[in-house]
Amino acid sequence: SSQLSSLPLHILLYVNGIYYIFYFLATLVMIIYKSQVFSYPDDLLAPDLAVLFLMAILEVPRLYLGFKGNLTEAEAPLGLSLGLTVGSVVLCVYLLLWQTYVLWADVLLNAVLLSAYGLESGLKVTAIAAFVS
Amino acid sequence: PADIRDAARVRSAPAPVTDVARLSVCDLLVAQCDVNCCCDPDCSPEDFSLFTTCSVPVVTGDSHLCSQKAAVYSLDVEANPPERIFKLIDQVNPSIFCIHATNYKQALYLKSPEIPTPENFDQLLEKYGGASFRAEPDSWDLDTDVQNPPEANETSRYEYGLPVQTEDAFLRLPSPVVSSWCSDANPAGFLVNQATKCIRSVSVEKCDSIQALSMLFYINSSILAVPKSSQMVNITVQSIVVQSVNGMRTLLSSSDVLRLPMVLDELCINAVLGVNYHITHTDTGEIIEAAAAFVLGAISKEAISIEQSFKISFTQENTQPVPLSGNPGYVVGLPVRAGFQPPGYPFPAAFLSNKHSQLTILQSTSTQDCLAAQGARAPVLFGYNMISGCKLRITAAMKCQPLAQTLLDVLKGQSFPEFVASFGNSQAQDVLDWVPITQLHISEQMISHTLQSPCQIPVSLGIEVKWTKYGSLVNPQARIVNVTATITTSTLKQLPSGRERIIPVTSSVVFTDISSPAEPSYKAWPTIDIKLPFDFFYPFV
Repeated sequence: SSQLSSLPLHILLYVNGIYYIFYFLATLVMIIYKSQVFSYPDDLLAPDLAVLFLMAILEVPRLYLGFKGNLTEAEAPLGLSLGLTVGSVVLCVYLLLWQTYVLWADVLLNAVLLSAYGLESGLKVTAIAAFVS
Repeated sequence: PADIRDAARVRSAPAPVTDVARLSVCDLLVAQCDVNCCCDPDCSPEDFSLFTTCSVPVVTGDSHLCSQKAAVYSLDVEANPPERIFKLIDQVNPSIFCIHATNYKQALYLKSPEIPTPENFDQLLEKYGGASFRAEPDSWDLDTDVQNPPEANETSRYEYGLPVQTEDAFLRLPSPVVSSWCSDANPAGFLVNQATKCIRSVSVEKCDSIQALSMLFYINSSILAVPKSSQMVNITVQSIVVQSVNGMRTLLSSSDVLRLPMVLDELCINAVLGVNYHITHTDTGEIIEAAAAFVLGAISKEAISIEQSFKISFTQENTQPVPLSGNPGYVVGLPVRAGFQPPGYPFPAAFLSNKHSQLTILQSTSTQDCLAAQGARAPVLFGYNMISGCKLRITAAMKCQPLAQTLLDVLKGQSFPEFVASFGNSQAQDVLDWVPITQLHISEQMISHTLQSPCQIPVSLGIEVKWTKYGSLVNPQARIVNVTATITTSTLKQLPSGRERIIPVTSSVVFTDISSPAEPSYKAWPTIDIKLPFDFFYPFV
């Protein structure tokens, strides 16, 4: 029987997981740096931190469902993962455009993450199409 | 209507200038050209041709931004006449942490203050109307509810400056606060020698009921030996001096009888005019003895106020109190300590240093007559250059030798010391801490062809004290290195009888700072000391 699981998707999810850990720590450290160097009132710091942590919380089930759906060739978890990806994309766009201070490093990190999400979403759609048919 | 528009205009502060091309930090004069200010809009090209350099070469916004406009001003000195060059360039910050964008309007600007309006005036007054207000806004709430209980640093010993505690409160040293009236709320600080004078309002009729005039007020509460303990030290009466109405003071022989104020013959006697506390303490900060010396006086009926003086001094047990002139370096304004070497050569013992052997200088009097001024001397205070003098009237009848001796006494005083303390706290036992006074003799000798030996009389004494800064750079101490006393003599010409001459006699003290400039010293470079062991080349050696 031919294998329907997508190897590129698996690799991408794996790399995404590792990259996300680096991204989370880097963004957190940069927010701390910004709060020390610039004027960062508490009522603007709180939403930025909340978005970052929310994204981290979303990432875990998103990646898990992605792996599981791809390996078990089930379209339900993969579809759920795709939905969570949409949420992650929204939060990533917030950190890219609507953060209090957007540093050049922020732009780079978020751009890489967004492109990873975009590629992943494409691969997930093809995988779902393969499983369903 | 005009008033509403005025009100609206007042409500908004002028907008901050953010256009880099129009911003000029050196433009200080209004409607006038500032010199060397290339960004000044009031300057014409003729003014620019006179500039030598641009004091503000670049005007930029916040350097944290990734890319920003910068106005660059420079002077082209090659052209004739020199002209100003203005360029608007894009400055790029290469750092990866440069700010790409901000979504926070006041991010890189200072906060504009709130303009008071009738609506927010009360709230602003409440926040800022006091003598002080918090820098952080109210939202950053510091933990004001949970206050650390003041640690009180429960020391079991008195420390410098700590109020001397008594049974009920503190040992009071009434002193003038704001005005000259006595305030009884001034506590005496431990080891803080103080002397205060203040005025107290009195009335002779009620003088026995005024507490502050009675001896009891000052000695009734005993002092705690250590803070917050139950060990008490009673204040003993050391001596009582009674001052009569005309100012004459008599020391009473018995000081154990407590004399309380009472009204006698329209006078109030036994009123306290002065208290002098002497506190003896151990070297660990414990008070072991306290004594008070009183000056009692009489207040006449017309007096509505009297001046009281209070003094407190602390002495360590088993030591003789010697007033220091600095610790260790001399303090400007305190007397230079001097002393004699007692005959014990060649093994000199301690120096004799007492009040009568201070370094003193002749004190000018109103009569300006040297011979009448004998005895009036002023102490030499460290750091104060002084000059004084008197006039000597010489008649023909005066003999040379006694006159010279008298003048020498006038200039030098009765007991001119031999040594001067090098530091303000030099102890008499440390012989090396004392500097000998070098005595020089300069004679203005006029070549005279007379057969008689010329008569030399001293006419001036100049004391030069050379001092240096000693010790650390941040806290240099003054140390006396050299003292030279120069007597200048001049020839006294024999006067024809009946004539008299007036010659000036001067004495001066000069303090010279001979400190060499401080040189920084650096730690030596570490040296690598490698040596091969003796038997390194064992088989071959």
